[in-house]
Amino acid sequence: MVKIALKAEKIVKKFPGVVALDHVTFDLKESEIHGLVGQNGAGKSTFVKILNGIYHPDGGRIFLNGKEVMIKNPIEARKFGITLVHQEVTLVPYLTVAENILLGKMPLKNKILVDWDALFEYAEKTLEELGADIDPKTKVKELSVGEQKLVQVARALAERAQILCFDEPTTALTPMEKESLFQIIKNLKNSGKSVIYITHYIDEIFEICDRVTILRDGKKIATENVSEVKPEEVVKMMLGREVSSFYVVRKGEAVGASRKPILEVKDLSTIPEKAHGVALKNISFKLYEGEILGVVGLLGAGKSELGKALFGMEKIINGKIIMDGKEITIKSPYDALKHGILYAPENRQLEGLIPEMSLKENITITTLDEISRFLGVINVKKEREIASEWVKKLGIVAPSLNVKVSNLSGGNQQKVVIAKILQTKPRIIIFDEPTVGIDVGTKVEIRKIIANLSKQGISVILLSSDVDEVLSLADRIITLVKGELTCEMVNKDVSKDEVISLICKAGGINVVS
Amino acid sequence: MSHKNRNLEKKSTSQSITGFFKSFLEFEESKPLIALITLFAGSSIISPHFLTWYNQRILLLQMAPLAMLALGETAIILMGSIDLSPGSVMALSGTVAAIALIYWHMPVGVAAIIGMLTGAICGLINGLLITKAKIPSFVATLAILVAGRGMVLIITGGMPVVGLKPFTFLTSDIAFLPSMVWIAVLATILLYFLMKMTKIGREVYAIGGNEDAARYSGVNADLTKIIIFTMAGILYAISGLMMNARLEVAYPWTGWGYELDAIAAAVLGGVQLTGGVGSTLGSVMGAYILTLITNILILLGVNPYYQWVVKGAILAIAATVLTRGLRYVK
Repeated sequence: MVKIALKAEKIVKKFPGVVALDHVTFDLKESEIHGLVGQNGAGKSTFVKILNGIYHPDGGRIFLNGKEVMIKNPIEARKFGITLVHQEVTLVPYLTVAENILLGKMPLKNKILVDWDALFEYAEKTLEELGADIDPKTKVKELSVGEQKLVQVARALAERAQILCFDEPTTALTPMEKESLFQIIKNLKNSGKSVIYITHYIDEIFEICDRVTILRDGKKIATENVSEVKPEEVVKMMLGREVSSFYVVRKGEAVGASRKPILEVKDLSTIPEKAHGVALKNISFKLYEGEILGVVGLLGAGKSELGKALFGMEKIINGKIIMDGKEITIKSPYDALKHGILYAPENRQLEGLIPEMSLKENITITTLDEISRFLGVINVKKEREIASEWVKKLGIVAPSLNVKVSNLSGGNQQKVVIAKILQTKPRIIIFDEPTVGIDVGTKVEIRKIIANLSKQGISVILLSSDVDEVLSLADRIITLVKGELTCEMVNKDVSKDEVISLICKAGGINVVS
Repeated sequence: MSHKNRNLEKKSTSQSITGFFKSFLEFEESKPLIALITLFAGSSIISPHFLTWYNQRILLLQMAPLAMLALGETAIILMGSIDLSPGSVMALSGTVAAIALIYWHMPVGVAAIIGMLTGAICGLINGLLITKAKIPSFVATLAILVAGRGMVLIITGGMPVVGLKPFTFLTSDIAFLPSMVWIAVLATILLYFLMKMTKIGREVYAIGGNEDAARYSGVNADLTKIIIFTMAGILYAISGLMMNARLEVAYPWTGWGYELDAIAAAVLGGVQLTGGVGSTLGSVMGAYILTLITNILILLGVNPYYQWVVKGAILAIAATVLTRGLRYVK
């Protein structure tokens, strides 16, 4: 009988406006690698953050080796032997590997001076145990991202962790580094430790995990033995997010010769602006007037990068953007706005809203010229009128127009972003995961808003990893895999399985359906 | 029955008082205003000379140049940037205006305009260094702080420019107060209006609040930064002219360390150094508080060196009150 190292029972976690975890029950055996998969907003990160004391659950119980525990903070979690290996590298770049491994518990001589010999000896031993070939005396900034990841693991071991949680550890690694990390994770398992492995790459689950738990919108869908389940079944459980009634069906009116393309992208290639970004390679497609073009792909396929490239936020190294038959250059969002192209970012908090400003000020920020009079003096009355009109039209729930936008729920925040975009009378709107992280009711409303846009002649590029959302809304669909456009199709008689198999190649597996 | 009613009445008055107090606290400048009123009342009690027309006049005269610096600095801090150059820019502008008057024999009005242009150019250079050369504002304005002071020393040869009597039109009275006090009042009103009621002011708050989101909303952030830095340069220059008028001499070391007073005024005024929160009006209150501290210590005959210690202590207290509730700060 295998011992259960950790059991979480009916964990509930609520954030304003959204239930992040809805009675999730989970167990982890000794010497097990347990995969945790789900799309953005599924709750995987929230779950491990609760196990590590970073968040506190609103309900549910956690048992360690059969005993109920309260994990108040990360320091306590470490005392219990639970450690999180963060997705980002959380090391001090200018210190040596050894210092980073033993940060906070340096061996001391006479209680004052650092015992450097003991420090390096201990670090070396830990690294050897891991099978990692790294000199403990090098500075962390001189290591590759993969090596830095291994140092993070070494640090977890130095903390005598029994349960290690890996949050998307391979995102920035080369295939070689990935292999050595996997070997190390297997070694950990063989030495009796338990591992929770979060990923969105399905192939990794099948490479190293024993069991896999699938989360979707904060709910546990299933826990399966990896040997008894097929990759496409896991993907289906991950993506088929909601009951069909939550989708707004808008089967495409015929698009084609009768309509003219408003935007044409030719051979677009980019260099990513962000460290973990994806480079786009020779992307070409057309967007027609009043059309919804769905762009699907898993995380890391380059959807956001495509949206941002058209909005002047990625570095374009090659290719043309043609609007109304004329080539245009877009170097900044300011340029894009002048051409009537707008972008609704996935990360509303960081890129969409100005948290300290009021609801009304956030709505009118895109059209300050329109509400200002001579010498740029703002017409306060007109501003109020515009804001209250959008509040009514989009059904934004807020105590007043002057409420700080950071106090609104995720769904209402998304509506504010849509309002400020529509206020500019755009011709093309790029929606980046418009319904991630918001409650189901508002999701439906937002899908209705998007469906209605095309009636007004606005073209939409819908970037989404929710296949059902794209299938129900889009006229045409293009699929992205690791920065490349793999398929373009009219959304007619396309099945969900087909689309899933096309985007799954992103994870390096071929799904035969 | 009637007893009960009276009780209810009592409750409602106390509620309306707390209600009033709550809505007062929501008012952006409430904290600096409370500090200002407290210090003002306290000073009036401990020194009989404080609350006299003569002393208040001096206080306002001393405060006016700092208020101009604080206004410019605050507009910049609200964008999430910082400006270390005010002291040097005010000195350079004042000196250039003085040289135009004395050595180039220009009328005082033209000399003043040349001084303001000098300030505008310094501000413009700051703005261009930040937006085009992409140097962080701390470093770019540090460069101007150092180079600007160097320029002053070069053009004056380290010697003061004397005989600036014509500049005293700024210290002569209009409607009971020196004209430069009225200029500071006017600038305060104008800046408040500019920041709260106009397009560019809204853009300043948006950039300070979340520059990414502001840019995604089509705000031309680079242009806004250049304009605001240039405007601040002009305000610093006016401050320099005020110093010329007050001292009738342009000292090469005028404004040495004043950038820190300007930043301190903003902090005392409730302006958040990360940008997006606060108001220019608060900073002017902060400037008044700083001047008041110097003033009352002189009136009490305290060793003038103590003023720095007291200012520092008040700054630390104010900052503690303002950052309460934050998880951690850097």
